[in-house]
Amino acid sequence: MSTAVTAATATATEQQVAVSPVTFPRVLHSEWIKLWSLRSTYWSVVATVLAMVLIATVMALAAAVGAAGADDAPGGEAAIGLGYTFAQVVVAVLGALMITGEYSTGMIRSSLAAAPRRTPVLAAKAVLIAAVGFLLGVLGVALAYLVTLPVLGGQDAADLADPEVQRIFWGTGLYLAGVGLLGLGLGALIRHTAGAITAALGVLLLLSTVVQLLMLTSDWFTGVYPYLPSTAGERIASPEVTAAVDGGPVVLAPWTGFAVFMAYVAVTLIGAAVSLRRRDA
Amino acid sequence: MIEAHELTKRYGHTTAVDAASFTVRPGTVTGFLGPNGAGKSTTMRMIVGLDRPSSGEVTVNGRPYAEHRRPLAEVGILLDARAVHTGRSARQHLRAMAATHGISARRVTEVVEMTGLQSVAGRRVGGYSLGMGQRLGMAAALLGDPRTLILDEPVNGLDPEGVKWVRTMVRRLAAEGRTVFISSHLMSEMAQTADHLLVIGRGRIIAAGAVQEIIDATTTATVLVRSPRAGELAELLTASGGTATPAADGRLEVRGLGSEQIGDAAARSGIPLHELTPVRASLEDAFLSLTHDEVVYRSEPAPEGASR
Repeated sequence: MSTAVTAATATATEQQVAVSPVTFPRVLHSEWIKLWSLRSTYWSVVATVLAMVLIATVMALAAAVGAAGADDAPGGEAAIGLGYTFAQVVVAVLGALMITGEYSTGMIRSSLAAAPRRTPVLAAKAVLIAAVGFLLGVLGVALAYLVTLPVLGGQDAADLADPEVQRIFWGTGLYLAGVGLLGLGLGALIRHTAGAITAALGVLLLLSTVVQLLMLTSDWFTGVYPYLPSTAGERIASPEVTAAVDGGPVVLAPWTGFAVFMAYVAVTLIGAAVSLRRRDA
Repeated sequence: MIEAHELTKRYGHTTAVDAASFTVRPGTVTGFLGPNGAGKSTTMRMIVGLDRPSSGEVTVNGRPYAEHRRPLAEVGILLDARAVHTGRSARQHLRAMAATHGISARRVTEVVEMTGLQSVAGRRVGGYSLGMGQRLGMAAALLGDPRTLILDEPVNGLDPEGVKWVRTMVRRLAAEGRTVFISSHLMSEMAQTADHLLVIGRGRIIAAGAVQEIIDATTTATVLVRSPRAGELAELLTASGGTATPAADGRLEVRGLGSEQIGDAAARSGIPLHELTPVRASLEDAFLSLTHDEVVYRSEPAPEGASR
């Protein structure tokens, strides 16, 4: 009884509630609050960085052991240039969860009621996951470099003055930004967490392996292989490969590959935006 | 003010809302009454642009919801199913909603207090009871101090105190001149809360008007009478202009005559009465009679010739 009465008097004074029009920066702010008020975000960030550092450490240890015997043992570049392999899984999942989490809980209806033009919601999520992916990539490579330094020693560790090492630094960030966007786009299209994650991981991890197997059956697959999302995209985050390895297909140059990858990402996001606008929430 | 014109929603072959036209006016509480699955939630989702109408249109305060620059200041929405991420706390949810309209943290605190969520606002919504979830929904609906409130089954899952709180809140919001559109399948709740009713059955608006009007128009008052000389009494009452039909336990169900008239007539003829019970038509009866007609209308078998 008493709560009802106090509640009644409280609203009598509510006349001056300042309410501003919905703008993109405001939607972005809202999405920012949403992103950092979920535990899964923190777990994803920690898992990504940790995975990159661990992979680099293992690679560096392997290199340090192997260096005595062989000239072409994997060097510092390879040690820091493989971190994306696990990190991409986490970032893709984070991107997908940003929107599938809203569909599974019903939150999407609140989000779209507050921003009924809808596209800004997706755009704001895209800005955030791209930024988070990029920063995680760069931070992960930086930490990976720092931990490989004592293991490999000054000589074998990646050379920061080398333009290729610099490209791996920024490239890992760019690739993870793209992977996060891909996860988000697939999440918006599929609307179910499990489905979206399966699709994202299928595209990123499984597709290239399947095509590699199919290459045995037809040369057509050999021609397609470099243009797959993962094989094209990961060039930007990896040491350059100029010649075909062991009779395998020639892969694309780093920036060409990244452009191809981002084309896939763009198509997915445009499809996601159209679907978001057209379908019932 | 909500204005719907020939609003229709089809899912494949099913028509969830069938050419619904209605107006919900400011300053009143308009109840949206219908059995489960009648199309209440779909209609409400179309009003705020979450579902796209198959045809027809609906405006809120003069224009489609999505065209408002400050939608949360126009319409506050409480949707039937929970529309909150379970991993977030109530306060974080409200802050995120508020941020889209630049609404201050002070206002967030205000609605938290108004809805009595202070003690749980920092806890994750996943652990909330249905009642707390409904209160959070109300808090979110009130955030932008909206001119129109659309509340889908707001008392669902609330304890008696909560039900009373919603009723008081809703009445006051309407008294402030706001438009309040509130759905329920609980007739008794509507009878106590709403001024006007919109009755929906199988996607069609089957009645609209003031609560009492609808009751009067759709039901006739009856009186239950028990007498050891029922046969004689029935003849007498029929002669007096009423209709008497036998009911359970040897009682008579009398229409067209009030209990006073029946009692007086029986006394004049010396017929003893063992029971004289006026049965007041309730909103529930009105509702059942309305929706019953709708069901009969829909499932009536084809006329002769169709049978083999």
